[in-house]
Amino acid sequence: MAKQKTTVENPYLPKPYKILEFYRETSDSFTVKADMEIDHDPGQFVQVGLLGIGECPISICSDSREYIQLNIREVGNVTIALSKLEQGDTVFIRGPYGKGYPMRYLKGNSLLIIGGGCGVAPLKGIIDYAENHRRDYKDLTLLLGYRSPDDILFQRELLEWKNRYNLQVTVDQNTHGKFCYGAKEGFVTDALESMDISNNNQIAFVCGPPVMMKFVIRSLKDKGFNDDQIFLSTERLMYCALGVCCHCMIKGKFTCVDGPVFRYDEIKDLENE
Amino acid sequence: MSKNKKLKVGVYGITGCAGCQLSIIFNEEEILDLLSLIDLKAFPFIKELNTDEEFDYVILEGLVANKLDLEILRKLRKNSKMLISLGACACTGCVPAYRHFTLKENYEHLLYKRQEELQDIEPSPHDEHVKVDYYIPGCPPDKKEILRFIKGSVRGVLPRPHQNPVCIECRRNGNACLLDEGKPCLGPITTGGCNAVCINGGLECWGCRGPTKDMNLELMIKILRDRGFDDRFIQDRMRTFAGLKLPMLERVMQGSKSKVLQTRFDGEKKFYE
Amino acid sequence: MQVLRLEKKRLLHFLDVVKKGFEIIAPVKSDLVRFSKIYHAEEIYLEKQSYFPVKEYFFRKEETLFQFRGTSITVPAYAAKKRMFFGLRRCDLNAIKNQDIVFIGDMGDPYYKAARENSYLLGYHCNTAPSPYCFCGSLDLVDFFDLMFFDKEDHFLVEVGSERGKSLAEKYREFFTDSQRLITQNEKRIPGVHRLENKDISGFYDHQDWKKGADICLSCGACTTLCPTCYCFEIHDEVKTADPCKGERRREWSSCQLQEFTRVAGDHIFRKEREDRFKHRIYHQLQYFKEKYGVQMCVGCGRCIEGCPTRIDFVRILNEMKNGKTENNG
Repeated sequence: MAKQKTTVENPYLPKPYKILEFYRETSDSFTVKADMEIDHDPGQFVQVGLLGIGECPISICSDSREYIQLNIREVGNVTIALSKLEQGDTVFIRGPYGKGYPMRYLKGNSLLIIGGGCGVAPLKGIIDYAENHRRDYKDLTLLLGYRSPDDILFQRELLEWKNRYNLQVTVDQNTHGKFCYGAKEGFVTDALESMDISNNNQIAFVCGPPVMMKFVIRSLKDKGFNDDQIFLSTERLMYCALGVCCHCMIKGKFTCVDGPVFRYDEIKDLENE
Repeated sequence: MSKNKKLKVGVYGITGCAGCQLSIIFNEEEILDLLSLIDLKAFPFIKELNTDEEFDYVILEGLVANKLDLEILRKLRKNSKMLISLGACACTGCVPAYRHFTLKENYEHLLYKRQEELQDIEPSPHDEHVKVDYYIPGCPPDKKEILRFIKGSVRGVLPRPHQNPVCIECRRNGNACLLDEGKPCLGPITTGGCNAVCINGGLECWGCRGPTKDMNLELMIKILRDRGFDDRFIQDRMRTFAGLKLPMLERVMQGSKSKVLQTRFDGEKKFYE
Repeated sequence: MQVLRLEKKRLLHFLDVVKKGFEIIAPVKSDLVRFSKIYHAEEIYLEKQSYFPVKEYFFRKEETLFQFRGTSITVPAYAAKKRMFFGLRRCDLNAIKNQDIVFIGDMGDPYYKAARENSYLLGYHCNTAPSPYCFCGSLDLVDFFDLMFFDKEDHFLVEVGSERGKSLAEKYREFFTDSQRLITQNEKRIPGVHRLENKDISGFYDHQDWKKGADICLSCGACTTLCPTCYCFEIHDEVKTADPCKGERRREWSSCQLQEFTRVAGDHIFRKEREDRFKHRIYHQLQYFKEKYGVQMCVGCGRCIEGCPTRIDFVRILNEMKNGKTENNG
């Protein structure tokens, strides 16, 4: 077959990037830093993949123009294949895609960041962003929940976060009786309920398993948060990330174009989808 | 890939027609390349020297129909990290398992009375006895699907198993719907991945790849009844290849009698003249 | 728009001459009516609507997005066949227009674009409803064609709908004479195709009647495959046996009626229930697409009903919702 070079930008083509750093976070997740130099918002995602295996959407969990950092959990074929890479290897990435957190419009507020399990990854983007624009935001409160102490992500950063922000880590079950980073046993929702926090100039960012998000929203509402003070990040199966393949549709919204970050009032009615 | 050690693979058959093992060999153009990907430790059907210890995976054809089969199955399971059931017999029980649905006196005199040494046990697919890691169904299985599995395994990726009904590929291939022609096609409740090869050739689907998880069995029965097939025929047809995977069949047939479903069938003739 | 006249007896000759410069794709009747390449103009069948839509010529069933070898990527040359489509109905043409919105307007899909760029669209106006299931009159279809043939007993009136149509007509000027009159709006109406009374379904999301459709749904995906507008797809990689570093990434049709469609890693399925999937299809056709692009995606061809093994008539279900009729009627 005759080959020709593409002259127009072909939106399906990924580009190769070098892995600058690769390390394991937990037994089933790892963090990759790739030399992709792009402008992006926290909460946006990229399609990461390997030729011959496939692609999957992963949130960018850093805030830098020099590189992107991705936290990946091994759940499917592509992520398992990615887990076998090493520093210096090549990954194929296209993006960034989607709407991230509209941080520019939230200046002057305090940020309440509530994450569960691997849902903490996209939220780390906000933390890094807030750190880079520290003067624009008031207090940062981090409330991070994990299944067990072994599942705690971003242990490299946690100490620093603990020193700088109001950090609280919970674990559903403390299997070893060892508490690190001041983690408490219990659910994120319990910790949130007992927390003395007001909705005054406070924006909440929630990401985690669907059940956890549901309960967190409920208790945020109890604390007086309005729908437009809550941002959620959603997850769906997707192939194109261009708003075409339709797999990620939630009612009329495309997760890949209109999301993955939604303000709660935008998707309130879509909860059951 | 090649820097690592090749995967040790065994291909075996227990009670069956050897057609599934033939399907592997039918990849004439690629069979030699295959040997550069894996270390084919055993394939007694075509190889003289075989070792039967320590496999990364074993592809096993046929079903358990006598004591020796069961011994082989258990041994291979023990010696292999993964067990792959190849073909309809191995996955669903196929035609040999039809014995469950007929009276003993119908078949006993034909063989088992004369050959006492057979020591038969009730014919059953692999997963009734041991854990199965991956299924490649079909009678015969799709030769490309076998290749795809082997290629995937080399890269540490198991291809996502087919879950969609045969109709998806059938309609894509531009076939007329055989149900509209009044034929008892089981495509809508049968797992695809075969490229609808039977329907492409004008033969209705008999369900050799087993039922889909999402099948609407009740409706399928109703459709066949509408086309004038009696319950005995429907039951026989559905049990030919996957009887053991449809334990609910009788119950659904009974239950669906009282239910009214508004379907429309224009008769065997299309409205085109 | 300019209107020309073509004597009916000259149609075959016209097409035979055109065939020298183009590949002609037109409806042909074999077991079913389908669009395929024609070798002789007599093969063309215009009595009824085609069973299969024409979309596969632009949004192909399987498309190689790119080939790779190690870490280098090559894109196969885009199709450059000059094609003339003849016998497209008003619904088919509007379906192409709707897919253009998605693939060209929204994302600039180079594969689709290349196939479209080299295509001339010649329509054939329905004087009667071409299928007992169609309902295009209920939807806001527009004129979208290069040339449209209106069947007038012994001759065709050919309306020119675009610059490309105009240049095409000029190229084959010897076949056409100027017509004295224009095509009236009344002539463009197709009788008996105003079945869908309930077009705005935003208030019916929780209606109990969705179950009526879902109960008789096999989830076989025929509706989406036969739909001329449905455009969802999946992407898969395939490698060569001789060298797993070589291979290609492919796109192929998918269907929202399948459970697999929304399955994420970890085996969670977002639209697990048949009813949700059925509802999603209808809402995407009539509402979601309109919210995003301003037009309804459905063009009322009725293929999804005709091709459905149980003839799920969503038009009837929607009408009954609106008219408050919920009892079963045979």
